[in-house]
Amino acid sequence: MKVYAESFELVIPISYESTEVIETGKWGFQKPEPIVMAAPCEEACPAGNPIARFSYLAGDGQYKAALETILKENPFPGVCSRVCFHPCESVCNRNQYDEAVSVNALERHVFDATVDLSPKLNPAPNNDPKKIAIVGAGPAGLSCAYFLALLGHRATLFEARQEPGGVLRWGIPEYRLPKRVLKKEIKRILELGIEMKTGVAVGKDISMEALSRFDALFLSPGAGMSLPLGVEGEDLTKVWKGTDFLNRVNSGERVRPGKEVIVIGGGNTAMDVARSARRLGSSVTVAYRRTKKEMPAIADEIEETEQEGVRFEFLVQPVEIRLLKNRKIRVKFQRMKLRKTSQKERPRPIAIKGSFVMMEADRLITAVGEGVDISWIPQDLSEKGFIKSVPSFVPDGRKIFAGGDAVDQQRSVVTAISSGKRAAISIDLAFRGHDPEEVFSKIRIGSKETLSMEAYLNGREMGNWGEPKGVVVYDQINTLFFKPSERMITGRIDPGKALKGFSEVHTGFSSEGARLSALRCFSCGTCNYCYNCYFFCPEGIVSFDFVNRTRKVDLDHCKGCGACSRACPRHVIEMRLIS
Amino acid sequence: MREFMTGNHAVAQAVKLCRTPLIAAYPITPQTPIYEKLSEWEASGAIKGIMMRTESEHSAMASCIAASLTGVRTFTATSSQGLALMHEMLHFAAGCRVPVVMANVNRLMSAPWGFWADQLDSLSQRDTGWIQLYCENGQEALDSVIQAYKIAEQIFLPAMIALEAFFVSHFMEPVEIPDQEAVDRFLPPMNLPHRFDMEKPGFLVPVVPSELYMKYRHMAQTSMDSVKEVAAHVDHEFRAVFGRGYGIIEPVMMEDAEVAIVTAGSITSTARLAIRALREEGHRVGLLKIRYFRPFPREAIQQALRGKKKIAVIDRNNSIGGGGIFCQELRAALVHSSDHPFIYSYVAGVGGTDVTPEVIRKIALNAIDRTGPVDESIWIMEE
Repeated sequence: MKVYAESFELVIPISYESTEVIETGKWGFQKPEPIVMAAPCEEACPAGNPIARFSYLAGDGQYKAALETILKENPFPGVCSRVCFHPCESVCNRNQYDEAVSVNALERHVFDATVDLSPKLNPAPNNDPKKIAIVGAGPAGLSCAYFLALLGHRATLFEARQEPGGVLRWGIPEYRLPKRVLKKEIKRILELGIEMKTGVAVGKDISMEALSRFDALFLSPGAGMSLPLGVEGEDLTKVWKGTDFLNRVNSGERVRPGKEVIVIGGGNTAMDVARSARRLGSSVTVAYRRTKKEMPAIADEIEETEQEGVRFEFLVQPVEIRLLKNRKIRVKFQRMKLRKTSQKERPRPIAIKGSFVMMEADRLITAVGEGVDISWIPQDLSEKGFIKSVPSFVPDGRKIFAGGDAVDQQRSVVTAISSGKRAAISIDLAFRGHDPEEVFSKIRIGSKETLSMEAYLNGREMGNWGEPKGVVVYDQINTLFFKPSERMITGRIDPGKALKGFSEVHTGFSSEGARLSALRCFSCGTCNYCYNCYFFCPEGIVSFDFVNRTRKVDLDHCKGCGACSRACPRHVIEMRLIS
Repeated sequence: MREFMTGNHAVAQAVKLCRTPLIAAYPITPQTPIYEKLSEWEASGAIKGIMMRTESEHSAMASCIAASLTGVRTFTATSSQGLALMHEMLHFAAGCRVPVVMANVNRLMSAPWGFWADQLDSLSQRDTGWIQLYCENGQEALDSVIQAYKIAEQIFLPAMIALEAFFVSHFMEPVEIPDQEAVDRFLPPMNLPHRFDMEKPGFLVPVVPSELYMKYRHMAQTSMDSVKEVAAHVDHEFRAVFGRGYGIIEPVMMEDAEVAIVTAGSITSTARLAIRALREEGHRVGLLKIRYFRPFPREAIQQALRGKKKIAVIDRNNSIGGGGIFCQELRAALVHSSDHPFIYSYVAGVGGTDVTPEVIRKIALNAIDRTGPVDESIWIMEE
């Protein structure tokens, strides 16, 4: 066949040079900038759990890395994922699309899947380590010690009881938080080189003054005293205090509360008491002075309590307890009604004059709140029955801080953890001579109180902290890249079976359930290597380094079209005008 | 082997016979049966190669161009809106000098929407640098695909085979399928003098200075001019091997004709009958079939129409504001002829309307009756 074009190169130009020399990037007027934003869940979590990042790792099956990610901000993933009231889930952006991601259950799976592994914790270098005494080894004290250790300090815990854990050990029952989980987490914390002195009650076995040999002091004794009802008959032996009851149950004592038990209160302690009593063979009625809607207990707890056959009497308040001849007690309840006060406050219960109701029982257990034992606290450190909160004071050069349930703050495990973290950073800053409030404003996650240890460490060496992360709102999520899907829920053992002992009620995710749950995460503000920017870049100049987990854009050849930013489902690329 | 088949399947048969290893296409009525047949054969292993189901015709053509530059034979098929979507890439194909072969089933351009025969789609692409052949029936479509490869691979320009929607694409006719071995001998494996090479990465379509650009365009023009000679040679050779040939144009009963009817595509076959009837009535009418539109066979047409008094060009297409497109080109080709025949433009069959022998008779008589020139196209349609 005769070829009419003798050489192809003669009829068509081909260049063997790269066009890379042409810096097409100079044509653009804007550039993509990788930004790191916080997810609303991370802002809502008092511990500042890096939820988006750990979810991505969990979805990828990298459970150890997921655990290590959580441990940067929270020493108690195993505990929190069982007892937390998970405010993260109610603010999840996915709520506005279909249903929230099951963050709490996913975190539990991360813990359960790595229970035999040893995560790597990397304490920061510290040329000037200080000695800090911590009073009370509950969640706040242990967290403070943990973060101080991560900051290179030496913490010593003073615990009055024979074992550490505080409310986690003596308050929360086994069916919610198995002791093996708690032990595992405390062991991991103490292995950072934290000294633990158990059976040492400050103010009794050792004086406050004796602790002044430490460079700083953190007070987290908790709130372990059941508040009195203030009614006649409260001193009867038929009336128990909720905290004492739980304490005995958690000590392994064989407690017999009786056939008919009345529990007074509507908080988590009341639920723990009621459910524990059910497991000890009692028939239980919870009496609460408001309605179910106003109960401070976690909604899931209330639901499970109901499922376990606990009866509820609402709008009743005990006014008198009498011992009957048949060794039972008769409790006289005042009928109440609610009066709305303001939008913010809970409605106030008011007595309906002349309206009473009688109930007979073998036992009454009170759970109407817990107070702080401040008998050993110097007067200038206490206020209205609480210890003054950190970081409001560093009196006369003494570096004393406080946190947990002993200070006037929300009573929850995660809040206690948060206060421990806050105190650890405050203590570190006190030694470094920085104003904590100013630093806190820079290491916050979003606009709430949550502090990021990662952000703190980033600026710690140079003393320069950047701006706090913004929070991704729903409108910034490109939902075109998500399919609607059902929220994954974990299994529970059958209520009938649950009542036979103190086995853990929640059974957790299967690995597939966990994976699907993790993949539902929008990963708001955190790059999870979805490749969208890579695929949508018309210039082919986005590259990924999977080993170092970085995404790079060849800015010399980026014309600033913004396709990557638009295609990003999770708002981690923002186009910025070139000035 | 003779088989009863549609024009679309005749095209698919040709692609199979040419052993095209890369087919990239996107389905569109009335071309889809080509796509489906080739897909079927790919699945059954009857054709060896890759069928790329691209997301658009634009991508289909881009794929053909890239594949062609690696030195392989490529094919695509499309129609109407699909061809229009390819437009940008059609220029690239010609500019990159790739011998891509495409079948375009002539379908009207929307709007309004429709699927019917009309040549406006491919004629709208006349300036893209593609060789264009218009086929009368399924047999010619099959043979033209084989010829097109042979021409395109010598000239390094892409070639488009046009067959009208339904009249050719879906009508079933007996089609002679050439012997595979004979086709293999006629069309040896493609061997480009230069191709993309993984070992020596190159970049095509670099920026060139104005002067160089003009030179490349001129080279393409020169190559396109040489198609007439190559096509005539290939058709001659084809006739020798397979016993069928079509020429670049085909004059029918033209020797003594005073009036010449000019057609392209399926109307030709109807016109063959119509002129026979007109002759029986005593009218000296001849027929000229134009097979190649690009390059436009100027010299051959001048020669075939020399001495004719009246020429009636029937166009199943219309360039709004211009008229029948074949007629425009034909008038330009005859502008220097000494005897200045009257050249009448008839627009008929647009949008798939039927051009019956009676319509052609009407056109012929209309031209015979006229005594002076008419510049505008005369539309033959229902009152």
